[in-house]
Amino acid sequence: MEAQLPPYSIKMMLPELFLFVWALVVITFDLLTRRKSGSAVGYLAMLGLVICGGILSITGYGRGFGMMFINDPVAVFFKVIFLGAAFMAIGSSFGITNRKIVNHRGEYFGLILLSTVGMMFLASSQELLSLYIGLELTTIPLFVLAGFFKDDRKSVESGIKYMIMGALSSALLLYGISFLYGLSGTTDIVQMKINLAVTQLANEGDIGVILILATVTILAGIGFKLALPPFHQWAPDVYEGSPTPIAAFLSVGSKAAGIVAFVKIMMLGLEAFYDPVMKPNDWGILVGVLAIAAMVWGNVAAVRQSNIKRMLAFSSIAQAGYIMIGMVAMNQYGLAAVGFYTFVYMFANMGAFAIVTVVEDQTGSCKISSYAGLSRTSPFLSAALAVFLLSLAGIPPLAGFFAKYYVFAAAIAMAGSSNGHTWLYWLVGVGLLTTVFALYYYANVIKTAYFAREASPYRLRPLRPALLVIAIGLLGVLIFGVVPETIVDFARDLPYYIAH
Amino acid sequence: MVEAADTGVVFWLLAAAVLISGFLVVSLKNIFHCAIFLVICLTAVAGIFLLLDAEFLAAAQVLIYVGAVSILMIFAIMLTSRLAAHNVIQTNRHAIIAFFISMVFGLGAIALIAGTHIWRLAIETLPADNIATIGKLLMTEFMLPFEVVSVLLLAAMIGAIVLARKEGS
Amino acid sequence: MIWPVAFAELRPIFDWLYDMVSSTGLPEPWLSVVIYTGLGAMMFGVLAVLALYLVWWERKISAHIQQRFGPMRHGWHGWYQTIMDAIKLLQKEHVDVATRDKFVFFWAPVMCFVAAFLAYVTIPFGEGLIVADLNIGVLYIMAVTTFTIISLLMAGWGSNNKYALLGGMRSAAQVVSYEVPMVASILVVVVFAGSLSMVDIVRAQDGMFYNWFIFRLPFGPIAFLTYIVAATAEANRTPFDIPEAEQELVAGFNIEYSGMKFAMFFLAEFVNMFTVSAIAVTLFLGGWNGVFLPSWFWFLLKTFAVVLLLMLFRWTYPRLRVDQLMEFAWKFLVPLTFANLILGAWMKYAGWYW
Repeated sequence: MEAQLPPYSIKMMLPELFLFVWALVVITFDLLTRRKSGSAVGYLAMLGLVICGGILSITGYGRGFGMMFINDPVAVFFKVIFLGAAFMAIGSSFGITNRKIVNHRGEYFGLILLSTVGMMFLASSQELLSLYIGLELTTIPLFVLAGFFKDDRKSVESGIKYMIMGALSSALLLYGISFLYGLSGTTDIVQMKINLAVTQLANEGDIGVILILATVTILAGIGFKLALPPFHQWAPDVYEGSPTPIAAFLSVGSKAAGIVAFVKIMMLGLEAFYDPVMKPNDWGILVGVLAIAAMVWGNVAAVRQSNIKRMLAFSSIAQAGYIMIGMVAMNQYGLAAVGFYTFVYMFANMGAFAIVTVVEDQTGSCKISSYAGLSRTSPFLSAALAVFLLSLAGIPPLAGFFAKYYVFAAAIAMAGSSNGHTWLYWLVGVGLLTTVFALYYYANVIKTAYFAREASPYRLRPLRPALLVIAIGLLGVLIFGVVPETIVDFARDLPYYIAH
Repeated sequence: MVEAADTGVVFWLLAAAVLISGFLVVSLKNIFHCAIFLVICLTAVAGIFLLLDAEFLAAAQVLIYVGAVSILMIFAIMLTSRLAAHNVIQTNRHAIIAFFISMVFGLGAIALIAGTHIWRLAIETLPADNIATIGKLLMTEFMLPFEVVSVLLLAAMIGAIVLARKEGS
Repeated sequence: MIWPVAFAELRPIFDWLYDMVSSTGLPEPWLSVVIYTGLGAMMFGVLAVLALYLVWWERKISAHIQQRFGPMRHGWHGWYQTIMDAIKLLQKEHVDVATRDKFVFFWAPVMCFVAAFLAYVTIPFGEGLIVADLNIGVLYIMAVTTFTIISLLMAGWGSNNKYALLGGMRSAAQVVSYEVPMVASILVVVVFAGSLSMVDIVRAQDGMFYNWFIFRLPFGPIAFLTYIVAATAEANRTPFDIPEAEQELVAGFNIEYSGMKFAMFFLAEFVNMFTVSAIAVTLFLGGWNGVFLPSWFWFLLKTFAVVLLLMLFRWTYPRLRVDQLMEFAWKFLVPLTFANLILGAWMKYAGWYW
């Protein structure tokens, strides 16, 4: 058998290659300066992300390496999100790297960049093998980053917990993928779709029950990455223990990576099995159940938290539930809504975590009670926190409102399209109810900050990069709240590309 | 060289070895014995690969899992005096729930696999020289993932060194 | 000296044996079982005797290097001394430590012994003289030798003795480290032969001695040297014998073993030495290729030459320290062998070889 190199173009892979090299540059720079580089290494990493974004904007669309590397609008859209999340995570890390991580700054930033490279590969891949490897490249640096404070028991715990859970979820995902391969005889997702359809036609519509196993294990694997209940238990502990910017990066970057993996496998590869007609292989209702569980459990549990990182962890679980609503709305609006939601979620969540980082740097605590009276000593940051939390809650005119609006609208449009999808009304109903519920705990933090009897003993002095991150977050939340069309127009094309 | 009728017996023997040693790995109290049974379990899996004519996979399985992973695990056990000296209880209070969940998953998976007969790969024959084929594919069609794996290993290595390094040196 | 033609190939003998066994009308699965068991037993016997003689040989060499005579009593220059030693060891009482880990302690020497012989499944002693020409030959040998490491770790752990534990861990660390340069230097040969099968690799070196891979300049000699160094370490021999450094660890991993269990470790060590030499011959020195004489004779001649080289290493070089040993492996051998591999692959690609 003569195997051939698929058509390839280095140009398409330039952003990833650059970022990979840049990660090595960052690590080496820290070594060359004998670990005394201070903030310079962090600025270097941020510069690399900006340059990478620049390269990404001029590479255009096309095939990088057969089906394993495709720069389509979906990939580019999510790559922008990954780069943004990494940029904001690094920007809010300077407080930590100045004091706590003095020996391994280069590795810290380098691993964030390497993880981002993995996410970008993942977003570009339309083939199960490279997709899986991209996902591993995403998560393995994150295991290390989560346990980066070696002297802190909580951090070590979170690192180990995340690693074990990550390993289990990868195993489940691989198990599912192996069945898909066994059924279709290919790892190419588009070819897989065709082969599955051919097999199904050849067997008079019967493809066997094995697809249930594949779907369930893949959903479980991705569910771990997205922290969808019942696969969410790791999330609060890991977020609490790991360095705060890493928790933020986990909640946005890693989650977006999981979303991309979901889009590629389920929405592209198993698209045909969404319909209720396909019982018992229909995966739509399964995802719907997961979404409901996420929205309900995430929001309910968040209320009881006194640690803001745990609260944000549960909040991000709930947000993943809302994103899943957009996923199961498999119409022309669904994926667009998901894209927009993730985009906006990045600004709001990264911004909120940036402020949590600033507070933690100053007060050494993540308790919600330590936010008491902050509005009097640091009015700007308190206002910014309020904006971010309200955006997460979905209050107009902030961007979070439109994100939720698009998701629900897509689901309702789908529910009205045919009789088989009326269960989506229930999904939207639960979504709306829990949104109201969510307002309570978001408002609770704002209340603590604004309506305390005494002024806070702390005056927050964020470092310049952290301020930059907060400013970017604010701009994102406000601008896309006023003019969501700019991104929505871009995101609207996504379903077209995923279908072709 | 061995007839199909005998591969059945050999398969069941190997499968029994995998299952029994696998069970011992997660139930024995002496963690060193667990590691030894892990070696046996992984070797038996390599034997099953051999039965499936996947020689390369079998050798890689032994080389990587027995030769590298297990040895490093045994190393870690030997270096950790707390683990080495005492009996380790491998279960916690969730054991019963976990048992039932795994049983449901395992039996469900078996039922589903048994209920499916449409496997696309089962009808295709293996190329005669499958190592050369694997090599060619890795260097052509699957070259990108193959290269990305090296990035992955680099990241893992950097991470491991960061975590394992003694601070303040 | 011209050998009788009948010795030129042992293959006819095997064919005759096969015919004899198959003429008994045994059904197929059992026929294979009988033949492979017979082959295995034969291999085992030959190798056990071989190992005994290697022990004797080593003692003589060490003696002569140190201006002694070595064993002189039993037969001509003590030629059956080691056989007597083996008989003595067989009769000896087993002294087991009370605090040993019974299961691990018992199985460690067995595993070591078996693992040492497993590699011989795919070593070509001569043209057609191979138990099974696996198409993953080299990889198979690399894979089965890993069991030796595990057996040493088991011995170290099972003895419940700190010297044994240290010895076992040192040996495992050493073998794992030196496996990397070893595989990398073997891969150069594999790249050139275009196959993992041992027979194909020997065939690729057909003809005169300048076709041997060791004479493929410039990467051949480098690969051979790095292989020999790594192989010496794999076989736990001086200058890489820290696992059993007498001055530090008394005897290393086998300190608590006595009687036949000790003999098993001891013989396995010599079998391993023969194994790495045989692999070196197959990969670099043309295997069975040679003129006039039968193929198996050439193979054994070359192998004993390499064994002699390893023995001379042992009795002329001082022992390395642990840190020196690790640094040598990771900071010198690994980069060198990988650079060599890249060079070799590039030359193969460019066609710059004859």
